[in-house]
Amino acid sequence: MNPNNNRLGWTFTSPYLIYSLVFFLGPLLWSFYLAFTNWDMIAPSYEFVGFDNFVKAFRSAGVQSAFWVTYKFMLVFVPLVIAMSLVVSVLIHGLPRFKSLFLIGFFLPYLSSGVVSALIVKGFLSYNSPMNEWLRGIGININWLGGPWSALFVVGLIMAWKFTGYYALILTSGLESIDREIYEAAAIDGVSNTSRFWRITLPLLYPALYTTLILAFGVTFGIFTEVYQLTGGGPNFATNTWQMEIFSQAFKNLQAGYASAVALLASLATFVSIFLIRKLLELWGKRNGWV
Amino acid sequence: MVGSNNTKSSRRLRLSIRYALASALLLVMVYPYLYMVLNSFADWNQVDRKLLPDSFTLKSYTWLLNGGETGVTRPWINAFANSVIVSVASTALMMLFGVMVAYALSKLRFRGRDTINNFILFHMFFPGIILLIPSFLIIQRIGWYDTYWALIIPKGVSLWAIFMYTNFFRAIPDTFIEAAKLDGARDFQILYRIMLPMSKSITSVIFLFTLMERWTELLWDMIMVRSDHMLTLNVLLSQMFGPYGGYPGPLYAGSVLLSLPIIVLFIIFGKKFQEGMQFTLK
Repeated sequence: MNPNNNRLGWTFTSPYLIYSLVFFLGPLLWSFYLAFTNWDMIAPSYEFVGFDNFVKAFRSAGVQSAFWVTYKFMLVFVPLVIAMSLVVSVLIHGLPRFKSLFLIGFFLPYLSSGVVSALIVKGFLSYNSPMNEWLRGIGININWLGGPWSALFVVGLIMAWKFTGYYALILTSGLESIDREIYEAAAIDGVSNTSRFWRITLPLLYPALYTTLILAFGVTFGIFTEVYQLTGGGPNFATNTWQMEIFSQAFKNLQAGYASAVALLASLATFVSIFLIRKLLELWGKRNGWV
Repeated sequence: MVGSNNTKSSRRLRLSIRYALASALLLVMVYPYLYMVLNSFADWNQVDRKLLPDSFTLKSYTWLLNGGETGVTRPWINAFANSVIVSVASTALMMLFGVMVAYALSKLRFRGRDTINNFILFHMFFPGIILLIPSFLIIQRIGWYDTYWALIIPKGVSLWAIFMYTNFFRAIPDTFIEAAKLDGARDFQILYRIMLPMSKSITSVIFLFTLMERWTELLWDMIMVRSDHMLTLNVLLSQMFGPYGGYPGPLYAGSVLLSLPIIVLFIIFGKKFQEGMQFTLK
Protein backbone atom coordinates (compact mmCIF):
# COMPACT_ATOMS: atom_id res chain seq x y z
CA MET A 1 0.00 0.00 0.00
CA ASN A 2 1.26 3.40 -0.97
CA PRO A 3 1.63 5.48 2.22
CA ASN A 4 0.72 8.57 0.18
CA ASN A 5 -2.70 7.09 -0.35
CA ASN A 6 -3.79 7.78 3.21
CA ARG A 7 -3.38 11.52 2.80
CA LEU A 8 -4.76 11.48 -0.72
CA GLY A 9 -7.77 9.42 0.31
CA TRP A 10 -8.68 11.75 3.12
CA THR A 11 -8.13 14.81 0.93
CA PHE A 12 -10.40 13.49 -1.79
CA THR A 13 -13.12 12.50 0.66
CA SER A 14 -12.81 15.69 2.73
CA PRO A 15 -15.67 17.54 0.98
CA TYR A 16 -18.02 14.82 2.10
CA LEU A 17 -16.52 14.56 5.58
CA ILE A 18 -16.89 18.29 6.24
CA TYR A 19 -20.37 18.28 4.78
CA SER A 20 -21.52 15.36 6.92
CA LEU A 21 -20.06 16.98 10.02
CA VAL A 22 -21.76 20.35 9.47
CA PHE A 23 -24.98 19.28 7.80
CA PHE A 24 -25.57 15.79 9.18
CA LEU A 25 -23.95 14.91 12.51
CA GLY A 26 -24.10 18.44 13.91
CA PRO A 27 -27.78 18.98 13.11
CA LEU A 28 -28.59 15.45 14.26
CA LEU A 29 -27.21 16.06 17.75
CA TRP A 30 -28.68 19.54 17.92
CA SER A 31 -32.07 18.16 16.96
CA PHE A 32 -32.02 15.67 19.84
CA TYR A 33 -31.07 18.49 22.18
CA LEU A 34 -33.75 20.89 20.92
CA ALA A 35 -36.46 18.26 21.21
CA PHE A 36 -36.22 18.49 25.00
CA THR A 37 -36.46 22.30 25.15
CA ASN A 38 -39.28 24.80 24.75
CA TRP A 39 -37.29 27.19 22.54
CA ASP A 40 -39.40 29.38 20.21
CA MET A 41 -36.59 30.42 17.81
CA ILE A 42 -36.70 34.04 19.03
CA ALA A 43 -36.32 34.23 22.80
CA PRO A 44 -32.68 34.34 23.94
CA SER A 45 -33.34 31.87 26.73
CA TYR A 46 -35.28 28.64 27.02
CA GLU A 47 -35.82 25.79 29.43
CA PHE A 48 -35.49 22.05 29.43
CA VAL A 49 -38.91 20.52 29.55
CA GLY A 50 -38.08 16.82 29.62
CA PHE A 51 -40.53 14.76 27.63
CA ASP A 52 -43.23 17.45 27.56
CA ASN A 53 -42.86 18.02 23.80
CA PHE A 54 -43.33 14.33 23.10
CA VAL A 55 -46.37 14.08 25.35
CA LYS A 56 -47.85 17.13 23.65
CA ALA A 57 -47.05 15.67 20.23
CA PHE A 58 -48.78 12.37 20.94
CA ARG A 59 -51.93 14.24 21.91
CA SER A 60 -51.93 16.74 19.05
CA ALA A 61 -54.30 16.33 16.13
CA GLY A 62 -51.54 17.46 13.75
CA VAL A 63 -49.11 14.69 14.68
CA GLN A 64 -51.77 12.01 14.85
CA SER A 65 -53.01 12.98 11.41
CA ALA A 66 -49.47 13.09 10.00
CA PHE A 67 -48.90 9.55 11.25
CA TRP A 68 -52.03 8.15 9.61
CA VAL A 69 -51.97 10.33 6.48
CA THR A 70 -48.68 8.71 5.44
CA TYR A 71 -50.28 5.26 5.38
CA LYS A 72 -53.41 6.58 3.69
CA PHE A 73 -51.20 8.05 0.98
CA MET A 74 -49.58 4.63 0.59
CA LEU A 75 -53.01 3.09 0.13
CA VAL A 76 -53.76 5.52 -2.71
CA PHE A 77 -50.36 6.13 -4.27
CA VAL A 78 -48.56 2.78 -4.24
CA PRO A 79 -51.21 0.62 -6.00
CA LEU A 80 -51.89 3.45 -8.44
CA VAL A 81 -48.28 4.07 -9.44
CA ILE A 82 -47.38 0.38 -9.59
CA ALA A 83 -50.42 -0.42 -11.74
CA MET A 84 -49.75 2.51 -14.06
CA SER A 85 -46.05 1.79 -14.48
CA LEU A 86 -46.74 -1.94 -15.01
CA VAL A 87 -49.25 -1.10 -17.74
CA VAL A 88 -46.79 1.27 -19.40
CA SER A 89 -43.87 -1.16 -19.28
CA VAL A 90 -45.93 -4.17 -20.44
CA LEU A 91 -47.20 -2.08 -23.36
CA ILE A 92 -43.87 -0.75 -24.55
CA HIS A 93 -41.30 -3.42 -23.71
CA GLY A 94 -40.12 -5.25 -26.77
CA LEU A 95 -41.73 -2.83 -29.20
CA PRO A 96 -39.67 -3.06 -32.38
CA ARG A 97 -39.63 0.72 -32.98
CA PHE A 98 -39.96 3.99 -31.08
CA LYS A 99 -39.47 2.24 -27.73
CA SER A 100 -36.98 4.78 -26.42
CA LEU A 101 -39.16 7.62 -27.71
CA PHE A 102 -42.03 6.27 -25.62
CA LEU A 103 -39.80 5.79 -22.58
CA ILE A 104 -38.57 9.38 -22.81
CA GLY A 105 -42.12 10.66 -23.28
CA PHE A 106 -43.42 8.82 -20.23
CA PHE A 107 -40.43 10.06 -18.22
CA LEU A 108 -41.21 13.76 -18.85
CA PRO A 109 -43.63 14.13 -15.90
CA TYR A 110 -40.81 13.14 -13.54
CA LEU A 111 -39.03 16.39 -14.48
CA SER A 112 -41.94 18.54 -13.34
CA SER A 113 -41.82 20.80 -10.33
CA GLY A 114 -44.45 20.01 -7.71
CA VAL A 115 -45.42 23.66 -7.78
CA VAL A 116 -46.22 23.50 -11.48
CA SER A 117 -48.17 20.25 -11.30
CA ALA A 118 -50.14 21.60 -8.34
CA LEU A 119 -50.92 24.75 -10.34
CA ILE A 120 -52.13 22.78 -13.34
CA VAL A 121 -54.26 20.50 -11.18
CA LYS A 122 -55.72 23.41 -9.28
CA GLY A 123 -56.72 25.05 -12.56
CA PHE A 124 -58.06 21.79 -13.87
CA LEU A 125 -60.17 21.24 -10.77
CA SER A 126 -61.37 24.84 -10.36
CA TYR A 127 -65.12 25.36 -10.11
CA ASN A 128 -65.56 26.58 -13.70
CA SER A 129 -63.11 24.15 -15.29
CA PRO A 130 -64.32 22.18 -18.31
CA MET A 131 -64.21 18.90 -16.39
CA ASN A 132 -66.30 20.17 -13.49
CA GLU A 133 -68.77 21.87 -15.84
CA TRP A 134 -69.20 18.59 -17.65
CA LEU A 135 -69.59 16.67 -14.39
CA ARG A 136 -72.21 19.15 -13.20
CA GLY A 137 -73.96 18.62 -16.53
CA ILE A 138 -74.50 14.97 -15.63
CA GLY A 139 -75.46 15.88 -12.10
CA ILE A 140 -72.17 15.32 -10.24
CA ASN A 141 -70.79 18.19 -8.21
CA ILE A 142 -67.52 17.44 -6.45
CA ASN A 143 -65.39 19.84 -4.47
CA TRP A 144 -62.23 17.85 -5.14
CA LEU A 145 -59.91 19.49 -2.64
CA GLY A 146 -62.68 19.97 -0.07
CA GLY A 147 -63.28 16.33 0.80
CA PRO A 148 -60.73 14.39 2.85
CA TRP A 149 -60.50 11.30 0.63
CA SER A 150 -60.84 13.15 -2.67
CA ALA A 151 -58.05 15.55 -1.64
CA LEU A 152 -55.85 12.56 -0.73
CA PHE A 153 -56.72 10.96 -4.05
CA VAL A 154 -55.87 14.10 -6.03
CA VAL A 155 -52.45 14.45 -4.40
CA GLY A 156 -51.84 10.69 -4.81
CA LEU A 157 -52.75 10.96 -8.47
CA ILE A 158 -50.31 13.84 -9.03
CA MET A 159 -47.53 11.81 -7.42
CA ALA A 160 -48.44 8.75 -9.48
CA TRP A 161 -48.41 10.85 -12.65
CA LYS A 162 -44.96 12.11 -11.76
CA PHE A 163 -43.34 8.77 -10.91
CA THR A 164 -44.98 6.41 -13.44
CA GLY A 165 -42.44 6.98 -16.20
CA TYR A 166 -39.49 6.55 -13.86
CA TYR A 167 -40.76 3.28 -12.42
CA ALA A 168 -41.80 2.09 -15.88
CA LEU A 169 -38.15 2.50 -16.90
CA ILE A 170 -37.07 0.19 -14.06
CA LEU A 171 -39.81 -2.35 -14.78
CA THR A 172 -39.12 -2.31 -18.52
CA SER A 173 -35.49 -3.14 -17.99
CA GLY A 174 -36.67 -5.92 -15.65
CA LEU A 175 -39.04 -7.29 -18.27
CA GLU A 176 -36.34 -7.15 -20.90
CA SER A 177 -34.00 -9.26 -18.81
CA ILE A 178 -36.52 -12.11 -19.05
CA ASP A 179 -35.46 -14.53 -21.74
CA ARG A 180 -37.93 -14.76 -24.63
CA GLU A 181 -37.23 -18.47 -24.90
CA ILE A 182 -38.94 -19.07 -21.59
CA TYR A 183 -42.15 -17.64 -23.02
CA GLU A 184 -41.76 -19.66 -26.18
CA ALA A 185 -41.25 -22.84 -24.20
CA ALA A 186 -44.30 -21.99 -22.10
CA ALA A 187 -46.36 -21.38 -25.21
CA ILE A 188 -45.38 -24.79 -26.59
CA ASP A 189 -46.35 -26.42 -23.30
CA GLY A 190 -49.74 -24.69 -23.62
CA VAL A 191 -49.45 -22.49 -20.54
CA SER A 192 -52.37 -20.05 -20.36
CA ASN A 193 -51.87 -16.30 -20.36
CA THR A 194 -52.85 -15.81 -16.71
CA SER A 195 -50.65 -18.55 -15.36
CA ARG A 196 -47.86 -17.31 -17.61
CA PHE A 197 -48.06 -13.98 -15.80
CA TRP A 198 -48.13 -15.54 -12.32
CA ARG A 199 -45.66 -18.36 -12.95
CA ILE A 200 -43.11 -16.69 -15.22
CA THR A 201 -43.41 -12.90 -15.52
CA LEU A 202 -44.01 -12.03 -11.87
CA PRO A 203 -41.27 -14.25 -10.37
CA LEU A 204 -38.68 -13.03 -12.87
CA LEU A 205 -39.83 -9.44 -12.55
CA TYR A 206 -39.67 -9.59 -8.75
CA PRO A 207 -36.25 -7.87 -8.35
CA ALA A 208 -37.34 -4.87 -10.43
CA LEU A 209 -40.73 -4.84 -8.76
CA TYR A 210 -39.09 -4.91 -5.35
CA THR A 211 -36.95 -1.86 -6.21
CA THR A 212 -39.98 0.00 -7.53
CA LEU A 213 -42.09 -0.82 -4.47
CA ILE A 214 -39.38 0.29 -2.05
CA LEU A 215 -38.97 3.57 -3.95
CA ALA A 216 -42.74 4.10 -4.06
CA PHE A 217 -43.22 3.44 -0.34
CA GLY A 218 -40.29 5.78 0.37
CA VAL A 219 -41.94 8.60 -1.58
CA THR A 220 -44.97 8.63 0.73
CA PHE A 221 -42.79 9.65 3.68
CA GLY A 222 -41.45 12.76 1.97
CA ILE A 223 -44.50 14.45 0.44
CA PHE A 224 -44.40 18.20 0.88
CA THR A 225 -44.58 20.46 -2.17
CA GLU A 226 -47.83 19.16 -3.68
CA VAL A 227 -49.62 19.23 -0.34
CA TYR A 228 -48.25 22.62 0.66
CA GLN A 229 -49.34 24.07 -2.64
CA LEU A 230 -52.73 22.46 -3.06
CA THR A 231 -54.31 21.84 0.31
CA GLY A 232 -52.01 23.25 2.97
CA GLY A 233 -52.57 19.94 4.80
CA GLY A 234 -56.34 20.29 4.83
CA PRO A 235 -59.21 19.88 4.77
CA ASN A 236 -59.10 19.41 8.51
CA PHE A 237 -55.65 17.69 8.49
CA ALA A 238 -56.75 15.14 5.89
CA THR A 239 -53.54 15.61 3.87
CA ASN A 240 -51.27 16.81 6.65
CA THR A 241 -48.01 14.92 5.98
CA TRP A 242 -45.06 14.71 8.38
CA GLN A 243 -43.11 17.31 6.40
CA MET A 244 -46.11 19.64 6.34
CA GLU A 245 -46.62 19.30 10.10
CA ILE A 246 -42.95 19.92 10.90
CA PHE A 247 -42.80 22.87 8.52
CA SER A 248 -45.88 24.48 10.06
CA GLN A 249 -44.72 23.97 13.64
CA ALA A 250 -41.17 25.16 13.02
CA PHE A 251 -41.50 27.94 10.47
CA LYS A 252 -45.03 29.18 10.98
CA ASN A 253 -45.52 28.71 14.73
CA LEU A 254 -41.76 29.03 15.41
CA GLN A 255 -41.89 26.15 17.93
CA ALA A 256 -38.33 24.96 17.28
CA GLY A 257 -38.26 22.69 20.33
CA TYR A 258 -41.62 21.12 19.77
CA ALA A 259 -41.06 20.76 16.01
CA SER A 260 -37.75 18.99 16.67
CA ALA A 261 -39.59 16.48 18.84
CA VAL A 262 -42.12 15.96 16.05
CA ALA A 263 -39.27 15.52 13.55
CA LEU A 264 -37.73 12.91 15.82
CA LEU A 265 -41.01 10.99 15.93
CA ALA A 266 -41.36 11.35 12.16
CA SER A 267 -37.89 9.90 11.59
CA LEU A 268 -38.63 7.05 13.94
CA ALA A 269 -41.94 6.27 12.22
CA THR A 270 -40.26 6.45 8.81
CA PHE A 271 -37.36 4.27 9.83
CA VAL A 272 -39.48 1.56 11.46
CA SER A 273 -42.07 1.56 8.66
CA ILE A 274 -39.52 1.30 5.86
CA PHE A 275 -37.74 -1.48 7.74
CA LEU A 276 -40.98 -3.45 8.18
CA ILE A 277 -42.05 -2.86 4.57
CA ARG A 278 -38.69 -4.13 3.34
CA LYS A 279 -38.93 -7.23 5.50
CA LEU A 280 -42.50 -7.91 4.36
CA LEU A 281 -41.59 -7.53 0.70
CA GLU A 282 -38.62 -9.85 1.13
CA LEU A 283 -40.81 -12.35 2.94
CA TRP A 284 -43.34 -12.17 0.12
CA GLY A 285 -40.60 -12.96 -2.39
CA LYS A 286 -39.12 -15.78 -0.30
CA ARG A 287 -42.47 -17.42 0.41
CA ASN A 288 -43.13 -17.68 -3.28
CA GLY A 289 -39.60 -18.83 -3.95
CA TRP A 290 -38.74 -15.84 -6.15
CA VAL A 291 -35.56 -14.79 -4.44
CA MET B 1 -47.21 -11.66 -27.68
CA VAL B 2 -45.06 -14.50 -29.01
CA GLY B 3 -46.98 -17.64 -29.83
CA SER B 4 -45.91 -20.44 -32.12
CA ASN B 5 -49.35 -20.76 -33.68
CA ASN B 6 -49.87 -17.03 -34.31
CA THR B 7 -50.18 -16.02 -37.91
CA LYS B 8 -48.12 -13.10 -39.12
CA SER B 9 -51.11 -10.81 -39.70
CA SER B 10 -52.56 -11.34 -36.23
CA ARG B 11 -49.18 -10.49 -34.75
CA ARG B 12 -49.14 -7.31 -36.75
CA LEU B 13 -52.63 -6.47 -35.54
CA ARG B 14 -51.63 -7.01 -31.92
CA LEU B 15 -48.58 -4.83 -32.41
CA SER B 16 -50.65 -2.00 -33.88
CA ILE B 17 -53.05 -2.24 -30.94
CA ARG B 18 -50.10 -1.94 -28.58
CA TYR B 19 -48.79 1.10 -30.44
CA ALA B 20 -52.24 2.69 -30.39
CA LEU B 21 -52.71 2.06 -26.67
CA ALA B 22 -49.22 3.27 -25.79
CA SER B 23 -49.69 6.45 -27.84
CA ALA B 24 -53.08 7.15 -26.25
CA LEU B 25 -51.62 6.63 -22.79
CA LEU B 26 -48.64 8.85 -23.60
CA LEU B 27 -51.00 11.57 -24.76
CA VAL B 28 -52.86 11.41 -21.44
CA MET B 29 -49.58 11.57 -19.54
CA VAL B 30 -48.20 14.61 -21.38
CA TYR B 31 -51.58 16.34 -21.56
CA PRO B 32 -50.94 18.36 -18.35
CA TYR B 33 -47.87 19.89 -20.02
CA LEU B 34 -49.91 20.63 -23.13
CA TYR B 35 -52.63 22.16 -20.98
CA MET B 36 -50.01 24.36 -19.28
CA VAL B 37 -48.48 25.59 -22.55
CA LEU B 38 -51.84 26.25 -24.22
CA ASN B 39 -53.16 28.10 -21.19
CA SER B 40 -50.06 30.27 -21.02
CA PHE B 41 -50.87 31.54 -24.52
CA ALA B 42 -54.64 31.51 -24.14
CA ASP B 43 -56.88 34.56 -24.04
CA TRP B 44 -57.44 35.39 -20.40
CA ASN B 45 -61.15 34.64 -20.57
CA GLN B 46 -60.33 31.11 -21.77
CA VAL B 47 -57.74 30.16 -19.19
CA ASP B 48 -58.91 27.07 -17.27
CA ARG B 49 -62.21 27.24 -19.14
CA LYS B 50 -61.42 25.04 -22.11
CA LEU B 51 -59.70 21.68 -22.54
CA LEU B 52 -58.03 23.07 -25.65
CA PRO B 53 -58.13 26.90 -25.81
CA ASP B 54 -58.57 28.28 -29.32
CA SER B 55 -57.94 32.00 -29.02
CA PHE B 56 -54.38 33.05 -28.23
CA THR B 57 -52.48 36.09 -26.96
CA LEU B 58 -49.05 36.95 -25.55
CA LYS B 59 -50.61 38.97 -22.74
CA SER B 60 -49.58 36.44 -20.04
CA TYR B 61 -45.94 36.64 -21.08
CA THR B 62 -45.81 40.44 -21.35
CA TRP B 63 -47.47 40.64 -17.92
CA LEU B 64 -44.76 38.34 -16.61
CA LEU B 65 -41.85 40.24 -18.15
CA ASN B 66 -43.11 43.62 -16.97
CA GLY B 67 -43.26 42.40 -13.40
CA GLY B 68 -47.01 42.23 -13.34
CA GLU B 69 -48.46 43.99 -10.34
CA THR B 70 -45.76 43.14 -7.86
CA GLY B 71 -43.67 45.97 -6.45
CA VAL B 72 -40.38 44.59 -7.65
CA THR B 73 -39.44 45.28 -11.24
CA ARG B 74 -39.06 42.18 -13.32
CA PRO B 75 -39.19 39.71 -10.41
CA TRP B 76 -39.61 36.77 -12.76
CA ILE B 77 -36.45 37.45 -14.72
CA ASN B 78 -34.58 38.04 -11.50
CA ALA B 79 -35.96 34.83 -10.01
CA PHE B 80 -35.09 32.93 -13.15
CA ALA B 81 -31.51 34.21 -12.90
CA ASN B 82 -31.40 33.18 -9.24
CA SER B 83 -32.58 29.69 -10.13
CA VAL B 84 -29.93 29.40 -12.82
CA ILE B 85 -27.12 30.63 -10.55
CA VAL B 86 -28.11 28.43 -7.64
CA SER B 87 -28.84 25.30 -9.66
CA VAL B 88 -25.75 25.51 -11.83
CA ALA B 89 -23.45 26.19 -8.88
CA SER B 90 -24.98 23.47 -6.71
CA THR B 91 -24.98 20.92 -9.48
CA ALA B 92 -21.38 21.72 -10.41
CA LEU B 93 -20.35 21.15 -6.79
CA MET B 94 -22.37 17.94 -6.54
CA MET B 95 -20.68 16.59 -9.67
CA LEU B 96 -17.18 17.68 -8.65
CA PHE B 97 -17.42 16.33 -5.10
CA GLY B 98 -19.23 13.22 -6.34
CA VAL B 99 -16.36 12.39 -8.69
CA MET B 100 -13.64 13.19 -6.13
CA VAL B 101 -15.12 11.23 -3.25
CA ALA B 102 -16.11 8.33 -5.48
CA TYR B 103 -12.61 8.09 -6.93
CA ALA B 104 -11.11 7.83 -3.45
CA LEU B 105 -13.69 5.28 -2.34
CA SER B 106 -13.32 3.09 -5.39
CA LYS B 107 -9.72 3.42 -6.53
CA LEU B 108 -7.54 4.56 -3.61
CA ARG B 109 -6.68 2.19 -0.78
CA PHE B 110 -6.46 4.14 2.43
CA ARG B 111 -7.13 3.70 6.12
CA GLY B 112 -10.76 4.36 7.03
CA ARG B 113 -12.12 3.85 3.55
CA ASP B 114 -14.57 1.11 4.48
CA THR B 115 -15.78 3.10 7.47
CA ILE B 116 -16.51 6.12 5.27
CA ASN B 117 -18.24 3.88 2.76
CA ASN B 118 -20.53 2.39 5.37
CA PHE B 119 -21.17 5.78 6.90
CA ILE B 120 -22.32 7.16 3.55
CA LEU B 121 -24.80 4.30 3.20
CA PHE B 122 -26.08 5.00 6.70
CA HIS B 123 -26.34 8.71 5.90
CA MET B 124 -28.19 7.99 2.65
CA PHE B 125 -30.92 5.97 4.29
CA PHE B 126 -31.36 8.29 7.23
CA PRO B 127 -34.69 10.15 7.25
CA GLY B 128 -33.50 13.66 6.41
CA ILE B 129 -36.47 15.54 7.85
CA ILE B 130 -34.94 15.52 11.33
CA LEU B 131 -32.10 17.73 10.05
CA LEU B 132 -34.24 20.57 8.69
CA ILE B 133 -34.60 22.78 11.75
CA PRO B 134 -31.01 22.58 13.05
CA SER B 135 -29.65 23.03 9.51
CA PHE B 136 -31.64 26.23 9.28
CA LEU B 137 -30.23 27.35 12.64
CA ILE B 138 -26.67 26.53 11.55
CA ILE B 139 -27.12 28.58 8.37
CA GLN B 140 -28.37 31.46 10.51
CA ARG B 141 -25.38 31.23 12.88
CA ILE B 142 -22.83 31.11 10.06
CA GLY B 143 -24.45 34.28 8.71
CA TRP B 144 -25.53 32.73 5.45
CA TYR B 145 -29.26 33.32 5.94
CA ASP B 146 -30.75 35.14 2.94
CA THR B 147 -27.62 34.70 0.79
CA TYR B 148 -26.70 32.55 -2.19
CA TRP B 149 -24.35 30.56 0.07
CA ALA B 150 -27.30 29.12 1.96
CA LEU B 151 -28.85 27.95 -1.28
CA ILE B 152 -25.67 26.56 -2.82
CA ILE B 153 -23.27 25.08 -0.24
CA PRO B 154 -25.62 22.87 1.83
CA LYS B 155 -26.98 21.55 -1.47
CA GLY B 156 -23.46 21.06 -2.86
CA VAL B 157 -23.04 17.41 -1.89
CA SER B 158 -25.22 14.64 -3.28
CA LEU B 159 -24.92 11.27 -1.57
CA TRP B 160 -26.67 9.68 -4.48
CA ALA B 161 -24.09 11.10 -6.93
CA ILE B 162 -21.25 9.76 -4.76
CA PHE B 163 -22.96 6.38 -4.55
CA MET B 164 -23.57 6.12 -8.31
CA TYR B 165 -20.08 7.25 -9.28
CA THR B 166 -18.49 4.87 -6.75
CA ASN B 167 -20.37 1.92 -8.23
CA PHE B 168 -19.49 2.97 -11.74
CA PHE B 169 -15.80 3.58 -11.06
CA ARG B 170 -15.50 0.18 -9.39
CA ALA B 171 -16.43 -1.37 -12.72
CA ILE B 172 -13.50 0.36 -14.48
CA PRO B 173 -10.50 -2.02 -14.47
CA ASP B 174 -7.53 -0.94 -12.34
CA THR B 175 -5.14 -1.72 -15.19
CA PHE B 176 -6.12 1.54 -16.91
CA ILE B 177 -5.07 3.47 -13.84
CA GLU B 178 -1.87 1.53 -13.27
CA ALA B 179 -0.84 2.09 -16.88
CA ALA B 180 -1.46 5.82 -16.55
CA LYS B 181 0.53 5.89 -13.29
CA LEU B 182 3.47 4.25 -15.01
CA ASP B 183 3.30 7.08 -17.51
CA GLY B 184 3.63 9.47 -14.60
CA ALA B 185 0.03 10.69 -14.40
CA ARG B 186 -1.15 12.24 -11.10
CA ASP B 187 -4.46 11.29 -9.54
CA PHE B 188 -6.22 14.45 -10.69
CA GLN B 189 -5.04 13.78 -14.22
CA ILE B 190 -6.26 10.19 -14.02
CA LEU B 191 -9.65 11.42 -12.91
CA TYR B 192 -9.81 14.01 -15.65
CA ARG B 193 -8.26 12.04 -18.50
CA ILE B 194 -9.44 8.48 -17.82
CA MET B 195 -12.31 8.18 -15.36
CA LEU B 196 -14.46 11.05 -16.63
CA PRO B 197 -14.25 10.31 -20.36
CA MET B 198 -15.20 6.70 -19.56
CA SER B 199 -18.25 7.70 -17.58
CA LYS B 200 -20.00 10.11 -19.94
CA SER B 201 -23.33 8.29 -19.93
CA ILE B 202 -23.55 7.93 -16.15
CA THR B 203 -22.44 11.55 -15.84
CA SER B 204 -25.37 12.72 -17.94
CA VAL B 205 -27.78 10.74 -15.76
CA ILE B 206 -26.33 12.16 -12.55
CA PHE B 207 -26.17 15.66 -14.02
CA LEU B 208 -29.81 15.62 -15.13
CA PHE B 209 -31.17 14.12 -11.92
CA THR B 210 -29.25 16.41 -9.57
CA LEU B 211 -29.96 19.51 -11.65
CA MET B 212 -33.65 18.62 -11.88
CA GLU B 213 -33.89 18.04 -8.17
CA ARG B 214 -32.09 21.28 -7.36
CA TRP B 215 -34.14 23.26 -9.86
CA THR B 216 -37.47 22.08 -8.43
CA GLU B 217 -36.51 22.26 -4.73
CA LEU B 218 -39.10 24.16 -2.72
CA LEU B 219 -38.86 23.65 1.04
CA TRP B 220 -35.17 24.50 1.46
CA ASP B 221 -35.20 27.50 -0.87
CA MET B 222 -38.32 28.76 0.84
CA ILE B 223 -36.96 28.78 4.38
CA MET B 224 -33.40 29.89 3.59
CA VAL B 225 -34.15 33.29 2.06
CA ARG B 226 -36.48 36.12 2.91
CA SER B 227 -35.78 38.97 0.47
CA ASP B 228 -37.81 39.23 -2.70
CA HIS B 229 -34.70 39.58 -4.85
CA MET B 230 -33.28 36.29 -3.50
CA LEU B 231 -36.24 34.05 -4.40
CA THR B 232 -35.75 31.22 -6.85
CA LEU B 233 -38.26 30.82 -9.65
CA ASN B 234 -39.93 27.82 -8.03
CA VAL B 235 -40.45 29.72 -4.77
CA LEU B 236 -41.68 32.85 -6.55
CA LEU B 237 -44.21 30.81 -8.48
CA SER B 238 -45.28 29.12 -5.26
CA GLN B 239 -45.71 32.47 -3.50
CA MET B 240 -47.68 33.97 -6.40
CA PHE B 241 -50.03 31.02 -6.25
CA GLY B 242 -52.26 32.38 -3.51
CA PRO B 243 -52.38 36.16 -4.01
CA TYR B 244 -52.29 35.96 -7.81
CA GLY B 245 -54.67 33.03 -8.10
CA GLY B 246 -56.91 35.46 -9.98
CA TYR B 247 -54.25 35.74 -12.70
CA PRO B 248 -53.91 32.12 -13.80
CA GLY B 249 -52.61 33.07 -17.26
CA PRO B 250 -49.32 34.59 -16.07
CA LEU B 251 -48.92 31.74 -13.58
CA TYR B 252 -49.06 29.29 -16.48
CA ALA B 253 -46.52 31.43 -18.34
CA GLY B 254 -44.29 31.28 -15.23
CA SER B 255 -44.75 27.51 -15.16
CA VAL B 256 -43.59 27.27 -18.76
CA LEU B 257 -40.55 29.38 -17.86
CA LEU B 258 -39.81 26.96 -15.00
CA SER B 259 -40.42 23.71 -16.88
CA LEU B 260 -38.86 24.49 -20.24
CA PRO B 261 -35.11 24.54 -19.38
CA ILE B 262 -35.17 21.09 -17.77
CA ILE B 263 -37.20 19.54 -20.56
CA VAL B 264 -34.93 21.04 -23.22
CA LEU B 265 -31.82 19.76 -21.42
CA PHE B 266 -33.40 16.36 -21.02
CA ILE B 267 -34.14 16.12 -24.72
CA ILE B 268 -30.61 17.28 -25.63
CA PHE B 269 -29.08 14.66 -23.33
CA GLY B 270 -31.80 12.08 -24.10
CA LYS B 271 -29.66 9.49 -25.83
CA LYS B 272 -26.76 9.60 -23.37
CA PHE B 273 -29.30 9.58 -20.56
CA GLN B 274 -30.83 6.34 -21.84
CA GLU B 275 -27.43 4.66 -22.04
CA GLY B 276 -26.64 5.77 -18.52
CA MET B 277 -29.98 4.59 -17.16
CA GLN B 278 -29.16 1.09 -18.39
CA PHE B 279 -26.28 1.09 -15.93
CA THR B 280 -28.14 2.62 -13.01
CA LEU B 281 -30.91 0.05 -13.36
CA LYS B 282 -28.58 -2.92 -13.02
